[in-house]
Formats: sequence, C-alpha cells, structure tokens
Amino acid sequence: MEQPNDLIIEMQNGNEKAFSRLYTMYSEAIYGIIYSIVLDEKTAEELLQDVFIKVWNNASSYSVNKGRFFTWLLNIARNAAIDETRSKAFKNSRKNLSTTNFVDILSSSDSLNRKTNAIGIKKFVDALKPACIKIIDLLYFKGYTQAEASKTLEIPLGTIKTRSRTCINELRVMVLG
Amino acid sequence: MNPEELIASGKLEMYVCGALPEDEALEVQEAIQTFPEVRREVELIEESLLHLAETVAPPVQAMSWTAILNAIRNINTSEDTKVRSLNLPAIIGWAAAILFMGGIMWMLKQTNDLNESIQVTTTENTVLREEKVKVESQLAENTEVLEVLRSKDYQAYTLPGNQAVAPEAFAKVYLNKKDNVAYIDTKGLPAPPRGKVYQVWSLKMDPLTPTSVGLISAENEMGEGIYKFVNFPDPEAFGITLEPEGGSEAPTLSQLYTLGMITI
Repeated sequence: MEQPNDLIIEMQNGNEKAFSRLYTMYSEAIYGIIYSIVLDEKTAEELLQDVFIKVWNNASSYSVNKGRFFTWLLNIARNAAIDETRSKAFKNSRKNLSTTNFVDILSSSDSLNRKTNAIGIKKFVDALKPACIKIIDLLYFKGYTQAEASKTLEIPLGTIKTRSRTCINELRVMVLG
Repeated sequence: MNPEELIASGKLEMYVCGALPEDEALEVQEAIQTFPEVRREVELIEESLLHLAETVAPPVQAMSWTAILNAIRNINTSEDTKVRSLNLPAIIGWAAAILFMGGIMWMLKQTNDLNESIQVTTTENTVLREEKVKVESQLAENTEVLEVLRSKDYQAYTLPGNQAVAPEAFAKVYLNKKDNVAYIDTKGLPAPPRGKVYQVWSLKMDPLTPTSVGLISAENEMGEGIYKFVNFPDPEAFGITLEPEGGSEAPTLSQLYTLGMITI
C-alpha cells in the first residue's frame, strides 16, 4: 500500500475531508494497537479519539520525508495507551495486563469472524510460533525498541532483526497471499 | 548495504514498527527514496502489520469520528467566538461598572454640595439671628430713651459750648433729680480725637467742686449718641471736658467743651 502523501499534505493544510479519509484508512489498525494495550473497549475508543485529535492538531510535526505516516501514528497511539495504563485510575480498575498479547485477544474474541481476511489471520495465528508471537507483540504492539526487545527476550540484536523478518514474512504470506 | 541486503536484514520491519535507532532509520529512509524495491518492501510490511492490528481491533464505533470532528471544530469555533462573545459581556460589564461609579461620584458630589449650602445657610441664619437680637436690644434702648424724654420725672437742660474751646458745641442732659439718673445726648459734640475721651462732671458751685460722673464711652451708651449715668452727687451744673483715655481725677478746664447750670 502506497503512502497517501497527497492526503497527508492536504490534511496538514487543514482539509477535513483529507483527514476523514486518512482516519478511514488507519483508524481501525490504530484502534487495534490501542486496544491490545488497554484491553478495554471504552478506554480504547476514548484514546483513539484523543490520538486523532492530536494528529490533527500536530499534523505539521510530521514530514513525509521523515519516516512512515503509519509509524508516526503508531508512536502517538502506543504512547497514549501506555500513558493511560500508567494512570492511577487505570491501575485501580484493571490488573496485570502485561502478559496478554494480540494472540490472546484474537483467540478470545469473535472479531475474527467479521474480518475479510479472517481465515488467513486465523491460520497465521494458529501456525505462529510462540517466539514470533512474543517478538511481534513487543516490537509492534508494545512499541519496544530493538535494544529493549533484545534485552527483554535475552536474544542478540541481530537475531531480533532476522527473527522479526521471518515472523512478519510469514504473516505477509498469509495476509497478502 | 545494497537493497537486497537491506531487505534481508530485518531492518525494514524494525523501521515500520518504529523500533530502529535514529541513525539506522535515516539509512532506511534514504534507501526508500533511492530504491523503489526497498519502498515496495516497506509498503508490504506496513500493509501486513496494518491488517494484523485491524484484526485485533473490536469494531470501531461511528461515534468516534463524530466526536473527533466535534473536538477539532470546537477548537476552531471556540477561538472564533472567544473574540466576539467574550468581549461583549466584558464591555457591557465595564461600561456598567463605569456608569455605576460615575453615578456614585455624582451623588457624593450632590451630597457634598447640599451639605455645604446647609452650612452656609446655617451661618447666615446665625448672623441674621444675631442681627435681630442686636436690633431688638437697640429698639429696647431707643424705647427706653423715648420713655425718658416723655417722662415728667426728667427735665431737659442744654449745656452750651464753651466760647473759648468749642463755641459750636452743645450737649443735652435729661436729668431725674429724684433718683439722680441722667441721660446725656452728645450729638452736638465733635468726635473726640484719637486717644482722647469726653468726661462728664457734676459741679457744686460754692465752692467749685467737680465730681466725675463718668466717661462718654460704649459701656454707658444707651442709644445712638445717648449715654446713661447714675450714682452721682446732686449737681448744680454739668460740665464735659476732653480727657486722656481712661479719664482724669480732676477736669482739665482748658479742654472744657460744654458747661451748663442746672436750675430747678
């Protein structure tokens, strides 16, 4: 999928329509990221709104020449969600989330049934090695740097890179065919 | 690192996840702009991850977009309306406050003015009352003098001027011999020079014995130019001399202005 740079620039110029189309393209994935961290639909909805309001208000701080728009969104969303999990109110209402990952969510939810590529994903999840689950969870969903992931998983940096390549490649084959 | 090596390295996956350190991310960024195959690879990685996250997401409520739209529009409109709607009540408020202050100042000034005019009026009243008292007492004195002139108990005598000193001068005496009360009208005397005063004497002729009756001064004045004297020996004649202020023990005969016999 090519990055819609024209839409991004129009949004940066204050075009609500362009912003609306970007929202349609990215909001669901961003919602998935947020949800996988806070594990509460209502909180995740509120955070999703906050994130896109932030995106609109700080649109000028993104440049199409510096990194992917999706990666920029990811960082904003993960930071907002992680901040939320550190808040007192959140800590009081929910317990130990750190062990839950995206596969747990997929296994326990019925959302798979509604997705167009659900069968591929289901297969992928079923086939996914525990090592892949761990590495995708940390790097993609939880926003760890490669160095942090290396330290947490006690795997050398180089291995982190090659393993994430292998794991995401598997995902790609199943999702995109 | 050539494009194939970069693709195989696993750095592109890290790049999309945002897990690369800045220097390595910069390297990938440059490669994306230089090599279309690298860009294509990044796009495919991104798409896979995007789909994975979408799969994890519960259904997104349509309400969310409405909420976002309201939020970003509120920011815009609230800034617009701030300028308009915040200023008007503020202006009205200040105007009201200024009017109110002005009103209070005006009323304070009115009160001050009224108080001042009350004070002026009070002072005027006091002055008028004093004048009234003065006029009343003067009227009483004049009435008394008139009573004296009309009374049968008083005899009127004219003291002619001393030819040597003041030939034009004269004085009139109204005497009650029974009670030894005398009213002396000094209208015919010239005004005494500064530092001098007229003194009235009661005279016995044989031998010549002058006794001071009193000074023509404010303390004895009854009406305009009319002076009242009591407590003096039976006179055979009255004389008026000009004396130094405070009067003298004996008359200065060189300054005898008028002299007249009292005959019964």
